[in-house]
Amino acid sequence: MSIFTLSAPTLVVLGASFTSGNIIQFPPDGFSLKWYWAIIGEQHLRDAFVRSLQVAVICVLISLPAGTLAGIALSKYVIRGGNAIQVYLLLPFTIPLIGSGIGLMLFFGQIGILGNLWPVGIATAVINIPFMIWAVSSSAASLDPDLELAAMSCGAGPVQTFFNVTLPAVMPGVITGSLLMFILSLNEFLVSLLLVDARIVTLPVQIYNSIRSIITPDLAAVSVVFIAMATLAIVLLDKLVGLEIFLKSK
Amino acid sequence: MRDYRTSYLVIWRVMDVLEAVFAKALPKGGGRMTPYFMLTPAFILVGALAVGLLYIGDSSLRVLDRTTFLFSDYYTLENYSRAFTERFTYTIIWRSLFGAVMVTVLTLALALPYAYVMVRTHSSVLRKLLLIALFLPFFIGQVVRAYGWLIILGTQGIVNDAIGLVGVEPIRLLFNYPAVLFGLVQYMLPFGVLMLAPAMTAIPEEVEAAAGSLGANWSKTIWHIVLPMAKPGLIGAGIVVLTLSLTDFAMPAILGGGSQDFIANAIYDQFFRTSDQGFGSALTIILIAIGSMMVGVVFMVFGAGTLALGRDEK
Repeated sequence: MSIFTLSAPTLVVLGASFTSGNIIQFPPDGFSLKWYWAIIGEQHLRDAFVRSLQVAVICVLISLPAGTLAGIALSKYVIRGGNAIQVYLLLPFTIPLIGSGIGLMLFFGQIGILGNLWPVGIATAVINIPFMIWAVSSSAASLDPDLELAAMSCGAGPVQTFFNVTLPAVMPGVITGSLLMFILSLNEFLVSLLLVDARIVTLPVQIYNSIRSIITPDLAAVSVVFIAMATLAIVLLDKLVGLEIFLKSK
Repeated sequence: MRDYRTSYLVIWRVMDVLEAVFAKALPKGGGRMTPYFMLTPAFILVGALAVGLLYIGDSSLRVLDRTTFLFSDYYTLENYSRAFTERFTYTIIWRSLFGAVMVTVLTLALALPYAYVMVRTHSSVLRKLLLIALFLPFFIGQVVRAYGWLIILGTQGIVNDAIGLVGVEPIRLLFNYPAVLFGLVQYMLPFGVLMLAPAMTAIPEEVEAAAGSLGANWSKTIWHIVLPMAKPGLIGAGIVVLTLSLTDFAMPAILGGGSQDFIANAIYDQFFRTSDQGFGSALTIILIAIGSMMVGVVFMVFGAGTLALGRDEK
């Protein structure tokens, strides 16, 4: 079957990342966890990882409300100028990443906020926001306007209606979108590379810099950290909304 | 028994405050403006990008004075004319364009059967397996995956060790054009499959069965039924893969080892090695133009496909 040849590269990378996690030569001479102990001991890797987590959290905190509101608005209302708005909101996808990164770098540099970590979080939110909007608006089919009216007629105010009726209806989309945003932000490399300086490197940038100088086994162990995060995200996604949601035709 | 006097929940009190604030801010409710209010935060976020583009446009029109290392305070098209006269620009543009087209064709060719099997299989275990095999690399990130390829394809790597067992000298598999394309295809495959899968789901299985019962064999069914009906998905996936690989930075940088630069790498070098912000900005504008033109051509020839946000899609 062709699927085996297809998933082969994926699985090979996986296998490689796992086996090489212990020793860089191949075939490996023995199984050991010493490189895992090594990376736990390495301050700069630990700091980089914490910074990456911070960036990802900031990204979700910003994009979750913005993307959810926009996604609901786009699918619930007929909006005048809707096409123009769509083109505008898809800008982060149509502008190449290097363009977005450089543009944000110049902009942030101009207003003097470069060198902090939170602008990196904002930047990853900006470049990935269409994913969030997409996730929410595609789950908004289960949004029943009559339910909202019913809530209103039972005396619920607009805020309460939103939190108790509208939001739960699009929850699968919100969860999917937030997980996507978190993991994409955690992994974001190019925009991070452009926006950080030597004091605040994130983990992907740290790995990239190390690859360029010398390939050491501790890098493989760090890669396994990413693989573990990815696995965790997939398990969460599968448990909370089910992976099959991505096969649904919209 | 619960004490009813204290059971007015905190969350209700919060709600009351929020309702009061909302009523104060918008006495008549949002009315017709509601969707616009809801879109505002996303608008502001994307606005940062728009401002950034203006900065790029501005600095692409200023030329670097090599004696003082200051940028001109007048506007000139010199950076663009320089970009279009230098051989170097054509080399990297051609390399990126050709690479992007190759990667797109290969990725779609691999993604189509993958998505097909994933959607059509009756085994839920196989489907789950295929989904996980898809999401894991998608969630792992480019740098780590490129690093994996370094381990596999390096002169000390797995492949060379394997062919060494049958007595073949180690060959240099890395830092060449095919390695970059290979890495890109593997990077793009999850994007391709995820964009294709919904379009595949939309094809009713009965149509295929009908074609079969009318005497069409397997290849005819694929060619006359599945491919035409998957077209919107193929266009959507194609555009995403095309633009992402055209503008990629990490794969050429890591698997190309500096000898196989794409446009994005050249732009990075202009900013961080040569410090010629003007020329780098001009290259960025050119890249954006090429990318938009390619998307425009695909749109005009094939239509917009599945690429649309919100309700227009349904």
